[in-house]
Amino acid sequence: MKRLLLLFTWLFCGITLGVNAQNLLRGKVLDSDGQTPLIGAVVGVEGESGSHAITNENGEFSLKVNKVPVKLKANYIGYFPAIVTINELRKELTIVLNENATQLNEVVVTALGISRAKKSLGYSAQDISNENLTKAKESNIVNSLEGKIAGVRITNSQGDMGSSRIIIRGETSIAGENQPLFIIDGIAIDNSQLNAGGNSRDFKNAIADLNPEDIESMNILKGPNAAALYGSRAAHGVVVIKTKSGKGKKGLGIDVHSSTQIATILELPKYQNVFGQGADGQFSYVDGKGGGVNDGVDESWGPRLDGRLIPQFDSPVVNGVRQATPWVAHPNNVRDFFELGYTLNNGISITNSDDKFDFRLGYNHEKQNSIVPGSESRKSNITFNANYKVTSRLSVGATANYIDTYAPSLPGGPFGQRAAGVMLQFTWFGRQVDMNSLKQDYSRNWNNSYYSNPYWRAYYNTTSQQRNRIIGDVHFSYELLKELTFSFRSGTDYYNDRRKYKIKYGTNGTPYGSYAEDAYTLNENNTEYLLHYNKNLNDDFSLDALVGYNIRNKSLENNYQKAPRLAVADLYTLANSRDALTSSNTLSRLRNYGLYASAQFGYKNFVYLNITGRNDWSSTLPAGKNSYFYPSANLSLLVTEWLPSLKSSALSYLKLRGGWSQVGNDADPYQLYSTYTSESAFNGNPQLTSSQSGKNSNLKPEITSSTELGFEAGLFNNRLHLDFAYYNTVSKNQILNLETTAASGYTSQLLNAGKITNKGVEIQLGATPIKKKDFSWDTNINYASNRNKVVKLDDAGRIKSYTIYSSTVQVLASVGQAYGTLFGTAFLRDDAGNIIVDAKGLPKADPTQRALGKFTPDWTGGITNTLNYKNVSLSFLIDASFGGSIYSGSNMWGQYAGVLASTLPGRAAEFGGLSYYYPGNDNSESAIAGKVGPSGEAISDNGIIFKGVTANGTPNNQIISADKYYKSFYSINEAYVYSSEFVKLRELSLTYRLPKGFASKIKLVDASVSLVGRNLWTIHKKVPNIDPEASFGTGNGQGVESLSLPTVRTFGINISAKF
Amino acid sequence: MKKKLYTIVLGLAIITLSACNNELTDINKNPNATEAPLPAYLLTASEKHAADLYWGSSNNYNTSLLFVQHWASIQYTETDCYNVTNSAFTSLWTEGYATLITNLNAIIASDQGNDNYKAVAQIFRSWVFLELTNAFGDVPYTEAGKSVLPKYDTQETIYNGLNEELKSAVAAINTSGDGISGDVIYNGNLTKWKRFGNSLRLRIALLLADRDESTAKSIAGEVKDGVFTSNSEIAQFIYSDSPQQNPFATSFDTRDDYRVSKVMVDKLKSLSDPRLPVFAQLPSDTSVGDYVGVPNGLTTTDANSLGFAKTSRPGTYFLAAHSPAVFFTYAEALFDLAEATARGFIAGNAETYYKQAIQASLNQFGITSASVINNYLSQSGVNYDASNYRKSIGTQKWIAFYGQGLDAFTEWRRLDYPELKAGPANVLEDKMPLRFFYPSKEQSLNGNNYTEAVKRQGPDLLITRLWFDIK
Repeated sequence: MKRLLLLFTWLFCGITLGVNAQNLLRGKVLDSDGQTPLIGAVVGVEGESGSHAITNENGEFSLKVNKVPVKLKANYIGYFPAIVTINELRKELTIVLNENATQLNEVVVTALGISRAKKSLGYSAQDISNENLTKAKESNIVNSLEGKIAGVRITNSQGDMGSSRIIIRGETSIAGENQPLFIIDGIAIDNSQLNAGGNSRDFKNAIADLNPEDIESMNILKGPNAAALYGSRAAHGVVVIKTKSGKGKKGLGIDVHSSTQIATILELPKYQNVFGQGADGQFSYVDGKGGGVNDGVDESWGPRLDGRLIPQFDSPVVNGVRQATPWVAHPNNVRDFFELGYTLNNGISITNSDDKFDFRLGYNHEKQNSIVPGSESRKSNITFNANYKVTSRLSVGATANYIDTYAPSLPGGPFGQRAAGVMLQFTWFGRQVDMNSLKQDYSRNWNNSYYSNPYWRAYYNTTSQQRNRIIGDVHFSYELLKELTFSFRSGTDYYNDRRKYKIKYGTNGTPYGSYAEDAYTLNENNTEYLLHYNKNLNDDFSLDALVGYNIRNKSLENNYQKAPRLAVADLYTLANSRDALTSSNTLSRLRNYGLYASAQFGYKNFVYLNITGRNDWSSTLPAGKNSYFYPSANLSLLVTEWLPSLKSSALSYLKLRGGWSQVGNDADPYQLYSTYTSESAFNGNPQLTSSQSGKNSNLKPEITSSTELGFEAGLFNNRLHLDFAYYNTVSKNQILNLETTAASGYTSQLLNAGKITNKGVEIQLGATPIKKKDFSWDTNINYASNRNKVVKLDDAGRIKSYTIYSSTVQVLASVGQAYGTLFGTAFLRDDAGNIIVDAKGLPKADPTQRALGKFTPDWTGGITNTLNYKNVSLSFLIDASFGGSIYSGSNMWGQYAGVLASTLPGRAAEFGGLSYYYPGNDNSESAIAGKVGPSGEAISDNGIIFKGVTANGTPNNQIISADKYYKSFYSINEAYVYSSEFVKLRELSLTYRLPKGFASKIKLVDASVSLVGRNLWTIHKKVPNIDPEASFGTGNGQGVESLSLPTVRTFGINISAKF
Repeated sequence: MKKKLYTIVLGLAIITLSACNNELTDINKNPNATEAPLPAYLLTASEKHAADLYWGSSNNYNTSLLFVQHWASIQYTETDCYNVTNSAFTSLWTEGYATLITNLNAIIASDQGNDNYKAVAQIFRSWVFLELTNAFGDVPYTEAGKSVLPKYDTQETIYNGLNEELKSAVAAINTSGDGISGDVIYNGNLTKWKRFGNSLRLRIALLLADRDESTAKSIAGEVKDGVFTSNSEIAQFIYSDSPQQNPFATSFDTRDDYRVSKVMVDKLKSLSDPRLPVFAQLPSDTSVGDYVGVPNGLTTTDANSLGFAKTSRPGTYFLAAHSPAVFFTYAEALFDLAEATARGFIAGNAETYYKQAIQASLNQFGITSASVINNYLSQSGVNYDASNYRKSIGTQKWIAFYGQGLDAFTEWRRLDYPELKAGPANVLEDKMPLRFFYPSKEQSLNGNNYTEAVKRQGPDLLITRLWFDIK
């Protein structure tokens, strides 16, 4: 605290007043487009080697000259120098420089909206332009980052309307949030994925609300080094988004865009079409509830689909007797359930600006129909962005982004909710079921023990979501002195998210239906006071410093009420309840004060040193111990500017960079004292029960330290650009809800424990192998490899694992292993690795559980190639991930239920099935191989021998029936853990841009048409039947898949025009 | 000008920062839950959770009730064939320790209660530990709730420890002192709690009987006059309407996976037991006309093929929403006295106690006609065989325990009657389960203590025999 006050004082004392106004020449140096300022350009008097000026972040300079007329020379790295004759002092001068093709001149928007020259940054920063974001028209904007930025990993869940998770440089927090902070125009916004406990459907993460068309650039700050000034949440990186404004172009501009996308299924599981519903080869339908022969069984171990006549659910009933109809396969029944999905996206924006003001007003509407029948969503965005220069010193501005998202029905979710899951019913299925019969009459179903007709479920058992959101801010900045600016910004992200869960009266399994309402209100406000000083102290040294104060308030409120059983059908209101309502509500608030300062020293334009420091006070830590401080420092050295002799045709520029930083992180609210939760009163007696998680009143903040080293190089006249980064991040004192044995009194206890390291390498290579007048070929390759290790959990080293997620398989952070180890049951094997079987020929499970893989990949990468010929460009992106594993519940249940093609081997003689009989036809006895029964027993030909050895080491030769075989290892997790590696053709686009001459003839500034496709082709993968990227949601528990919705591929056409 | 600015900004900073700390602490006060609960509310919650745990699917009707062959599966017969997943028994451990024992410890430690609350909580906590050790064997007891890595105690330590606790708790109850509220089981009747405590001690005495006769004898002697004296003192939790209804009712509301087992139906038929119509329903297909039980341990296919409509569901008495979860019956106390007498621990007539116990059970299930009861008792199959008290008491106790899976399972293991056989599709090579195995997570969460316990007790499998169960 004291340190900061001193810094504060020093800054003020260090101010010097400007030079004598009379001989002062003011001006601006701009890029050839006439708008972009060039920061750090050198302006001096031609021929004189004495004083010169360096342009600031707005490209402005002021130079003292002795007399007029005078010849000024302006220099900027990578640009051709310009010489301008000045005749009078009074005019504001504008010097325009033309680029000499290099990337050192990029301006990057860093923490707090301060623009910095990329060359001065001591850390790795990568950005994506609007064009790259909007090309593919992904409705969830996080997905458009896939494969484009080294070290950024995206996973999405639940098909075409699901959520997406973004991880930068590996997981650094064992238990907490690992996704980066999102900042829009300086406003921190919420990216929660709020899921109710009752219905396991996937709700999109909140960032999906944004409209990609509104975004001008997205800059990824990859770690604490880049983001220390943002505070605690920066430990996992920051995505800095700058939206389009009216700045720059004078006069009125109108942008229009329209796109249409269609979506089809990329992959469905491969089903078998040889055997139909039933068990033991028997089936006959009476009521679907067990009243017939195996007609309540939801598996496909029934009779062969050879056309024989069997009464089925859709067989006609004549005189009260159900007729027998042909028992045939309907191989496309699951595919026929899904529809063609489509997304329509249209928008318009208007901009205008002049010397004093600029504004942009935009409107966008998106309508998306999912491949799941009945599911759709609509989203409207209205964005407004305006700035006004009240006086030459004071400028004010405001932004508002209002988003209205409404989905009358969202696609269903994974196992657990019989009334809700889509793929659940196609995994526990009868392969003979005719989907058309189900479509004609929703009230009948192929199975009435557990399921409703899938169309019934899709149209009647719905989850709807209505989200109204406003993200906005007001800001002003006042130029106290030429070099000193005071600015203020208060930004808010506020939304209401209301969900309604309906289950129709008469649904199988929930005969009375139910209705629940789930409402969330989130409000996050950040207020920032900033004092920014930017001056060239003398010819050699420049200083860019700031001091700031941030107040952050966040509150999240939830209200949930459920009518467990409806009194009357088709009336969805809480008053229509047969039972007392169940309800719950929670409120969570936090507040954080942050005081921070940073200083960037530049020496002669080729060395830059950045230092930051921040102190936070958080409401979530214990009183008296709630303050924590964390500094950072990084250095950037432009070797080729320092030693120009190194420049050659091979080496155009070389920059070395490196730094060290720390970020502290507080806890979630209410983690200090153990609590007792209320439950519904029993016969008028209130109930309070201890929470099973123990709290900790001595919590300390987590600390993440990161070292980063790297270089950027331009080779062969800048035709090849290479960016390399190495980082080593250590996170300590993690606030962990460590799972403990329940016998300790709590199933988890909150402790400061744990140390996790992430070491990795990121390489980004950009090249233009061919560059001719009309044709060019650009390629961009990125590669990232991350090695993650949980070094320890508790200090004494007694606790071996932390459970991140647990269902059939556990996802753990285990000491000595990578984060996200999959832990579960394995086959019992002998020393030679053979599986041991029991006396009945069934595989045995090892009583000791084992590590079966990890979900975090070893490396990820992507290649983008763009070919330009005159006005046409073709680009495609291929991305890959290797080294991770996934547990597939879809494969596990699919084999258990006999629906997958992988259950065909051994099911009949033509599939390699062995012949056998049961002595005395008693199937509780062990099967005996043979083609003739000694006492005339029935012979079956679906025998399989499990490959393994018996207890005494001899090879197993006990025949078991195929269904017994495929069911025998469902609980052995090892059998269903696969490598999640993949190579995918992620994006392909063909764009035609109207030639400028022609465009201006029809009064257009710019126009283009593109054909785009996404997720077109999985070139390589190892896991059968599912997409290796499938998951449940965006939490830390990845690597487990079950009954996920199919991934879609999309094709579309985009049209955009600028007036 | 700049000096003024400087002062203002600095001043603002100082003012806001000093107001910091107080506000921050206030903001972090949890609005969603209490940090200082009233004992009455904790007691109700403990009783309800205990009832749900004891009577629910994980520990009762989908496990122990099948193992002891009161019910059988007609669908998803995995558990009935002893093919259980590694997380099958986790809830007894988790709920038992982290909810029940923690809640009861909170009552004992609370300064908002009185001595009677503490005593009642201690009695109920002892019941929880007893169920835990009878199911799993060696479990954490002395260090439970006191350490992050508690050691597992031997059954001998636990039984003796619980006996001492129950003794002091019963003594500490002051029937004329401050009352307790929130007690759904006995409605605050402290005398009944004393009897419950003593009855538990008698149960423990018999668990010790085959290993430590002298201790068992002395306990039996101390409590013989203090146990239950009538059916009105049954320790049970009577449920309410949905969604707070009896777990059996919830299961049959939405699923149809269980029937009465053939072993039970056949036994009741062979004894012309008047409880048969209470324990079972006639099949829904009226053409069958008689009670039909389902054999245990069939494959799902075979079970299905017996016909959902042609087999007997459990009686409506048990499937009603308000049906109770029964912890300890008067009948059991009498059977315990009968056995204590038969073993020579206390004076008395074993046969008399035996007959009283059967009568108490019949009364409990609504059979009060003296002639029916006498007819039943006079049958040779029901007669008390003094030369094989285990068989007589074991068989009738098994019937009387219908629905109380965990305790029926314990007593069947201890007395070894009736003789049950594993079903045809069982996966244990025809052996029967003799315990629950530890939750799979114990290996990773408390590895060292877990390994030590397994070394002492035997492999962590269903078929490992526990200390109290000598054969």
